[in-house]
Amino acid sequence: MLSINDELKSKLTDLNGAIAKKYSPIFSNNFDMKIFLEQNIGTIVNLEKLSEKELSKIKEKGGLVAVDGSTNRKGGSFPHYIELYQGLAKSTNQDVEDVYLTDIYTPILSDIKENPLEDEEETDEKNRRLAQIEVKAALESVKKRPPYALVMDGGLIRYTIYAKELWEELVEFCLLNDVILFGTIKDIKTKIIGEELKNIYKDLKGPLYDREILFGFLQYKEMLTIYDELNKKEQSGFSSGFLRSSLSPNIVGIDIIEEQRHLLIDMAKLIVTLTPENSRGVPLFLDIVDKEVKITDDLIEALLERYLDRDIYERLFVSERDKRNL
Amino acid sequence: MKVLGITTQQEFFAGSKERNFRINEFLVVEDKQGDLIAEVVEAQTFNRYIPLNVYGDFVDASVIESMKALGYDVDEETIYVAKLRLLEEALYPVETGSDVRVPKFSEIKNLMLRTKKEEGLCLGVIRNTDSLYEECEDEFKDLLYTFEEKGLVKQRELPYIMDLKSMHQYPHIGVFGGSGSGKSFGLRVLLEELMQKEIPTIVLDPHYEMDFSDCPDYFKDEKRDFNAKFKCLQVGLHVGVKFEDLTAGDLKNLLDASSPLSDAMNNVVDVLFKNKDSYLSFSNRLQALTEAQEEGSVQRIQQKIDNAKNNDEKDAWEVRKDLFIQYDKTCPYNSVKGILWRLRRLYNEGIFSKDSRDIENYLKDGFLVIIQGSTRILQVYSTYLLNNIYHKRREYKDAQYKKAAAEYFPPFIVVTDEAHNFAPKGYESPSKSILKEISQEGRKYGVFLALATQRPTLLDETITAQLNTKLIFRTVRASDIDTIKEETDITSEEAKRLPYLRTGDVFISSAVVGRTIFARIRAAYTVSPHTQNPFDELKQKKNEDDEKFMRIISNKLPISEMDLLIATMEIERDEKITLTQDELIQKLENLYKKNLIGRESTPFGYRYIKL
Repeated sequence: MLSINDELKSKLTDLNGAIAKKYSPIFSNNFDMKIFLEQNIGTIVNLEKLSEKELSKIKEKGGLVAVDGSTNRKGGSFPHYIELYQGLAKSTNQDVEDVYLTDIYTPILSDIKENPLEDEEETDEKNRRLAQIEVKAALESVKKRPPYALVMDGGLIRYTIYAKELWEELVEFCLLNDVILFGTIKDIKTKIIGEELKNIYKDLKGPLYDREILFGFLQYKEMLTIYDELNKKEQSGFSSGFLRSSLSPNIVGIDIIEEQRHLLIDMAKLIVTLTPENSRGVPLFLDIVDKEVKITDDLIEALLERYLDRDIYERLFVSERDKRNL
Repeated sequence: MKVLGITTQQEFFAGSKERNFRINEFLVVEDKQGDLIAEVVEAQTFNRYIPLNVYGDFVDASVIESMKALGYDVDEETIYVAKLRLLEEALYPVETGSDVRVPKFSEIKNLMLRTKKEEGLCLGVIRNTDSLYEECEDEFKDLLYTFEEKGLVKQRELPYIMDLKSMHQYPHIGVFGGSGSGKSFGLRVLLEELMQKEIPTIVLDPHYEMDFSDCPDYFKDEKRDFNAKFKCLQVGLHVGVKFEDLTAGDLKNLLDASSPLSDAMNNVVDVLFKNKDSYLSFSNRLQALTEAQEEGSVQRIQQKIDNAKNNDEKDAWEVRKDLFIQYDKTCPYNSVKGILWRLRRLYNEGIFSKDSRDIENYLKDGFLVIIQGSTRILQVYSTYLLNNIYHKRREYKDAQYKKAAAEYFPPFIVVTDEAHNFAPKGYESPSKSILKEISQEGRKYGVFLALATQRPTLLDETITAQLNTKLIFRTVRASDIDTIKEETDITSEEAKRLPYLRTGDVFISSAVVGRTIFARIRAAYTVSPHTQNPFDELKQKKNEDDEKFMRIISNKLPISEMDLLIATMEIERDEKITLTQDELIQKLENLYKKNLIGRESTPFGYRYIKL
């Protein structure tokens, strides 16, 4: 048996107490979250699944295109690593070919700077390339044949930050061609509700994330649409909502471009329809795209071993950590 | 179709998004080394989204349906994967990424159809070759029918033709399979083909099932007549052993067949059996000796001689005395008695009442000779018969070699079902030694074996090892599957399929071809006399009995319970059938219950009337 350090045990117990204390005001029985949400955040609506008829209408109008990206890195610390990016736009219309786009980055060949101590810039580079490749894939796919809707993986705000010009082109194209453009967020990181709570309950400290608050709060097929004023406050140009799309208590987020905000609930219904009841809450089609685009560790290794000279590969991209096997 | 993954010189995987693979089909790999031919040994389909655990989520049907409505059919993500084995080992491993395609008939003709139909036995079809059928030469088309789920179907796959001539190199055939697997049926088809080729054949048939005169209903229009090509002979009734022709060795073999002879018993035969003895002379000698031995001493026998009432008796005791003096020391009483019992038993079974000349003549005429009898009798008789005819053939061949004159005796094939009874593993049996001899050197003399058994594990190993061509039907027992795996080139994938084979499907492992072919036995032109369902038989018999009795009784009706005595007497007089009054009532009641006659109540009991 592994023996566990007693100190670690007691620290964890303390931590549990501290967390419970932090959330005590909002999780106590005499606080009605529902009233608070309706007064301050948005409306709770019930979503119905789309009927087969409605789905076939969507099919006739071009179906759904889902976009996702994946990245993986091989190697050690700066600059001895290589990153592979892959973006995929896949249509439910199987006549439209999948659009795969790829990109590679290694600091060895880029002359940005000698040794960036701030990790941030590296992360920026990664995010920029990934966002760009996703938007490019989306553009290429919708230009082939405009779908009824285009769903991006993750919040839309990321694209306005990291791929601004391409994103604007995509939005323009979608608006011109009546393509609904929205994003689903598996892992929501927003603090909209938390910030409002803190405005009212001054004794709440530290960041409060929406996922913490909404966990298990919404019922299956319930959605919280955010009031426009709050959306505007974020200044992102998107309209958003939270919904529980499966029996799992996790909440997923949905973003839609401002011009199409009247379609937010329709898209939420589409998400609920395409999400298996007993899943984590992610529409099956997005999972499929995610799985197809994923660059796994095995894959990246196999590719590098195959296409790089052994000398180059070992010299630059095999770190000490890779050789550990204990 | 493309080659996938890690490959070797012998095996590789191929995948396809459009085309499903079929087990045992042949495909061509367009490799850098040139086109290679491979056989599918395992086929799988795989859909990475069904049974739907993308990231561990369980997907319900409604989502799949919704996706379908959206136009995205998850089924189309199915991929087909097959494991292929090269027919001949390549020099290098197959290049991953090579294209795989369906072969043309010309490319694999040599693998499938090496033998012309005139020179081989057309046993069935090679499974999963229907795509090649259209391209093949007319000579190989429309040869046969097979049974499928729908019933009788015209040939639509390449025929499996067993090379007859190659039996010279690879002489013996084994037929394995559990009961109901199609083994006896396969044997029947094999025999039909041998008859068509007029190959002299001996069949040992303990089940009385190898009769070829009945034609099945489905072939009424295309009836094939084998009547002039086979002969059923029953041991004791049609054929037997001519006692005068027996040598001491033959006789010992015969006596040995039911259970082994002790040394003393062997000695009794050696000492007491004289050449040209008849059954009577030999058995009388044994009888006389035992009677003398029962007296116990020369003095007592002398007493019998002295007290004899007449000369005949006196002479008889004189003979006994001589025998006693000559043989008592060498032949213990119990052994003599034992030999006598065994000899009488064989005699009572009729073995000595006929000879085997018919068999030899029919063989010379190219007949299929079916020897019928109980398993025990056949064990005894086959030992004698096979020894006899094998050595006749051998003498002829040896004489031919020595350029001496000898009577012609043709090459022949020995066929038997339940072969483990004739050549069991683990203990000695006289028929085993002759079968073993044939299996080891029969090839040189043109004597071949076709042995069928449902328990290959119980068959003598030396013999199993000599079976070069094996037909393996459905086998469920693990120990038998292990034996089959050991004795054939069947692969583990194929062995896994053995318990699930359909009746009539067979793996043919042939040393000529050097690999295993998956085939289906053709529909037989004749039918076994045992095909009637026993439950139908019961019903039919019952109806026949009722009808018979109705005929007898109908002109005697009405019968009242008062007249039973008269009725039984009349029946006895007219039909010579004796019934008691109770039996008659029972039969009448039975007919009444079946609504064949009526029954009415009268003041004097029931009265049975016509309807």
